[in-house]
Amino acid sequence: MTHKKRKATELHCAAKLYARECSEGKLSRREFLTRATALGVAAPAAYGLLGLSAPAARADTPRMGGTLRIQMDIRAQRDPRTWDWAEPANVCRGWLEYLVQYNRDGTIIPVLLEDWEANDDATEYTLMVRQGVTWNNGDAFTAEHVAHNFERWCDTSVEGNSMASRMGAIMEDDALRDDAIELVDEHTLRLHLSRPDITLISGLADYPAAVVHPDFNGDPIGDPIGTGPYRPVSYDTGISAVVERNPDHTWWNEGNGAWLDRVEFIDLGTDPAAWVASAEGAEIDMLYETTGDFLGIFTAIGMEQSEAVTAATLVMRFNQDSEPYDNRAVRRALQTAINNAEVLELGYSDLGIVAENHHVCPIHPEYAELPPIEMDRDAALEMLAAEGHAETEFELISSDETFHADTCDNIAAQMRDAGINVRRTVLPGATFWNDWLTYPFSATSWAMRPLGVQTLDLAYRSGVAWNESAFSNEEFDALLDQANGIPDADERREVMARLQEIMQDEGVAIIPYWRSIFRHARPNVHNAEQHPTLEVHYQTYWMS
Amino acid sequence: MEAIGWTEILGRMAMQLLPVWLALAVVFAISITWKRRLGLYGKLFDSRVGMVGFALVMFWVFAALFADMIVTHDPLSQISGMRNATPGSPLRDPSGRYEYFLLGGDALARDVFSRMVMGAREVLRIAPFAAMISFMIGISLGLPAGYLGGRLDTGLTFVANLVLAFPVILLFFLLVAPEIQETAIPRVMAGILFIVPVLFFTVLLNARFFTQPARRNLYVGAVMVVGLWAYSGLAFNLDPLGVWGMSPNLLNVFVAVVFVNAPTVFRIVRGITLDIKTRDYVAAAQTRGEGTWYIMMWEILPNARGPLIVDFCLRIGYTTILLGTLGFFGLGVASESPDWGSTINQGRRLLTVYPHAAIAPALALMSLVLGLNLLADGLREESLKD
Amino acid sequence: MLLFLARRIGVMIVTALCLTFIVFYLTNLPAKLETLAKTQAGSRISDAEVASWLDRNGYNQPMLARYGEWLGVVPGWTRVDGDGDVTGRCYRAHGITDPGAAPARCGLLQGYWGESTRFRASVPDVIPPRLGATGLLMMWALIVMVPMALIVGVLAGMREGSRTDRTLSTFAIASTATPEYVSGVVFIALLASSTAGLSPLLSSWGWIDAPVLFQGNARSALEQITFWNFTLPVMTIALYGMGYVARITRASMAEVMTQQYIRTARLKGVSFANIVLRHALRNALIAPFTVIMLQIPWLLTGVVIVEVLFSYPGFGWTLFEAAVNNDIELLLAASVVAVIVVLLTQLISDIGYVWLNPRISVT
Repeated sequence: MTHKKRKATELHCAAKLYARECSEGKLSRREFLTRATALGVAAPAAYGLLGLSAPAARADTPRMGGTLRIQMDIRAQRDPRTWDWAEPANVCRGWLEYLVQYNRDGTIIPVLLEDWEANDDATEYTLMVRQGVTWNNGDAFTAEHVAHNFERWCDTSVEGNSMASRMGAIMEDDALRDDAIELVDEHTLRLHLSRPDITLISGLADYPAAVVHPDFNGDPIGDPIGTGPYRPVSYDTGISAVVERNPDHTWWNEGNGAWLDRVEFIDLGTDPAAWVASAEGAEIDMLYETTGDFLGIFTAIGMEQSEAVTAATLVMRFNQDSEPYDNRAVRRALQTAINNAEVLELGYSDLGIVAENHHVCPIHPEYAELPPIEMDRDAALEMLAAEGHAETEFELISSDETFHADTCDNIAAQMRDAGINVRRTVLPGATFWNDWLTYPFSATSWAMRPLGVQTLDLAYRSGVAWNESAFSNEEFDALLDQANGIPDADERREVMARLQEIMQDEGVAIIPYWRSIFRHARPNVHNAEQHPTLEVHYQTYWMS
Repeated sequence: MEAIGWTEILGRMAMQLLPVWLALAVVFAISITWKRRLGLYGKLFDSRVGMVGFALVMFWVFAALFADMIVTHDPLSQISGMRNATPGSPLRDPSGRYEYFLLGGDALARDVFSRMVMGAREVLRIAPFAAMISFMIGISLGLPAGYLGGRLDTGLTFVANLVLAFPVILLFFLLVAPEIQETAIPRVMAGILFIVPVLFFTVLLNARFFTQPARRNLYVGAVMVVGLWAYSGLAFNLDPLGVWGMSPNLLNVFVAVVFVNAPTVFRIVRGITLDIKTRDYVAAAQTRGEGTWYIMMWEILPNARGPLIVDFCLRIGYTTILLGTLGFFGLGVASESPDWGSTINQGRRLLTVYPHAAIAPALALMSLVLGLNLLADGLREESLKD
Repeated sequence: MLLFLARRIGVMIVTALCLTFIVFYLTNLPAKLETLAKTQAGSRISDAEVASWLDRNGYNQPMLARYGEWLGVVPGWTRVDGDGDVTGRCYRAHGITDPGAAPARCGLLQGYWGESTRFRASVPDVIPPRLGATGLLMMWALIVMVPMALIVGVLAGMREGSRTDRTLSTFAIASTATPEYVSGVVFIALLASSTAGLSPLLSSWGWIDAPVLFQGNARSALEQITFWNFTLPVMTIALYGMGYVARITRASMAEVMTQQYIRTARLKGVSFANIVLRHALRNALIAPFTVIMLQIPWLLTGVVIVEVLFSYPGFGWTLFEAAVNNDIELLLAASVVAVIVVLLTQLISDIGYVWLNPRISVT
């Protein structure tokens, strides 16, 4: 395979294409930045493509010192690649750094990499490892360490290793493919992919992709070897976690962060009312995530709100292997009974944008606009009656998390308004996941992924591990393959339009909204705005 | 449309509750007129505390009975634009519905007033029956344990103490978990617990009418038919006619509540029995040659009724609070259920900004428990006057 | 007396055994183990991964054998990894991997309480600090509750039927009718909110510097207990527990006041205050004493609501967390602690009853 070596200033052709789309209004600025930087275009250059200059750094000079107290769940720690929540990653982010980082503005910037390049068909990536980085045990950081991490990420024998699902293109037989990584020199390595994959770099920014030392024993707290400027002081699951600036280590990025002396994460339970009480008592400075009616309350007590628009959503999917949802007309009827705008208003406090029962968000680059869907309760009941299900009781299952339960309660209420019998079942969060793939009709929360095809690949392709709707459609699979191979977003959008239509026509799921996520912090906390994937980059936060 | 003020809200609520007022008036008029002929129940109307308690309890009983006539909206339907609406807010588009949310809307835009009234039905559907079954079990086991003593007593007391040594909340977490519903445990426990009332009545009537086989056969037969019919439906969901039945969820909660309460009742009954069995009238019955079960059921039990009735009232109140606790921990009850515990738990989060959603069910729960306590106090005082 | 104690301890051990077995059975149902595997290894892992996780961690043996392992009467499980290292219950307990280095059995009898899966720590490291935290909460709750309850009960009971009696009794009943999840929340709204209740008023009058009067959250009490962060949880518990003790005291006091010796004292012309303090009180306090002792086990687990509401990590909170996360060994240890506390308080209440009331003897 030939690889065209490009200079850092030379821009990826696809990136230029995106820039054109962006200026034509086909691509929002955020998506353009995500995609262009994922292809190796530096953030300032990406802004340059749009004829803009990168946003200037904050005028205020950060102040050294201070202790930041953040309310956040403290879940049990484990091996980073098996993290299934962002919270454990957030605590460790001060010493376990990433190759690249996804920013609030949608850009992907290099961290432990100096730069990366992809070839034109995205089948070969060259990673330039940052020089001058040392581990806090004194070892120098090299390309070999990066290769070691790729090997760890591809190891499927470890239960719950979610990185493996992102590394498909360099894997073979449940492990790293032998010839997938080529060590060019001490600070350069090249990845040879078995198929085009433009999502590889975004995957490296995900929270389980923390880079660990070769001697790492699986416990990031007990064995905190990392490259970052902080180190753990204590970690009590369910109670609190404390990190402090590491005085025995020189950080490669010294002077551009690590302002805070100490960060305390405090777990006050899942009840936001307890957080309010604590914030009122001036015992916390920042809330990890604030929701619904509490936004107003936290603002009223003098905290500042920040928002991130995301493609995260709640999917009320039908499992097509179970009665009566194997009947397309039943699924379509239930979709028709629901007014998605009302679900957003009553189930998620109107904090997001209305979705259209398919899993591609308007903020995805390849999103195709379809005619609006229509709610018609009488028609819904008629359709059910025609299938002999007018009297059937439908059971809608959800976990007990507030917005899951609220959203489903609203959907149930709307179904009842249409004259459909419905029963709600709420399961505790821990129990819910036992059968999440096989519930006949239930709600699953899906996190945001930068590209529309990513979630379709993960959840709706026939037979994939997370296909909870048991959706199996040959045309859909074929089109999805086709979409994965189309670099041009315009061309791809045509395919996507058809994919989205199929999802709607087949009544795969009720997908009512795309939710925005929020964070509150005291006015003296800076640089700490909400991140679309809920990351806490405390090494860049500072307090005045 | 304008929002209405508190005077009008209260007026409209009183109007909606009209069936309750009428029923209360009828009950009180009848009871006070004939109170001398009504035994302990009639004496209740000599005590002011007892009357207040009785009125509070009956208020909620009638509210639960006539709930369908009282509610202004469907307690589950969510109406756009009414999230956290303040009391007296008008609907944006009534179109045939009641024009106002009398006590405001909750966080999911449901009518708080209607949910409170419907909640009474949820609470009164479980608490009194769970207390009743606990009592029958406690009595059926406590009487022989106290009267016969010996190994039986030692064994039963040990089991009762074992259950009582369990932290209540742990027991609920273990028994009400959804995973348990998939196993046979709740069904088996229900099978054992629910057969006791049937046996209780069978033995009760058999002991009394032992000497008149014809009447005995009729009564016992009737109890067996009705009892086993209900039993098959409630415990195993096998009722052929589909009259009796409980969702697995409800059954689970019910069984757990009975399981927690029965040992306490057992201890009370056993204690009273130990006391009463030394009385002269028991000795007299023994010399008359009455059967063991007759003495227990028809000599000891009626004389123990005073403290038991009092404890029964208290226990219904305690069970109501316990069900609320389950709601607080998100255990057992269905998500949209308007029962007071869950409603309080959902509403309390926003108490500082929208107090109405939590205050209304909280006041309802407190007034019912207060009523039960006052009723128990009144009954105790009046029964002591004998 | 010694025989009595020995029998009580015997009963305690048998009770603890039965109870732990029930807990063990209910937490080791297949569905519960699946939940455990998913909370431990990742919520979206496949069934095959669940099976392999359970196998690797020794959960796939018969339930009775595993209960035996926990007790320490059955040898702990072992398995040899691909690279020759040995893992197993006893290997993990001692943190070693060399074959043959660990003892065969490790359980309760060997003094090994196991590991908490929720807190990733050994059980003896988790329970004592939590128990200590609850102990403090209970102590303060009792300090507030007992005198209040006794005063209310004695005042109400010394003149039965008087207006004081009616008022105080109604108050006592109302307090038992207010569950903690209502009173706690009302306290927070009234006293610990900067937008509702008293605090904004006091703040605008300049009486308090902070935006709130009391802290509505007791997490900071873990490090240092102050009047401001501990009052609300203590009051919430004390209020609910008080009514019951007060009513028992009232009934007991009322009964004592009708006794012959009190009448005699009154006829002798002893002042009413003297009668109450010198003659009635001691006898009237026997019943409340036993009730107060029996309140202690209730406090231990009944505080769960208050601890969760005020995010105060005590024993009740630990129980809650362990139950929600199906933390088997922590739950077992917690039940053992609960049994010991329940039966110990019963014992103390029995002995105290004898001590206060010389007419009864334990044998």
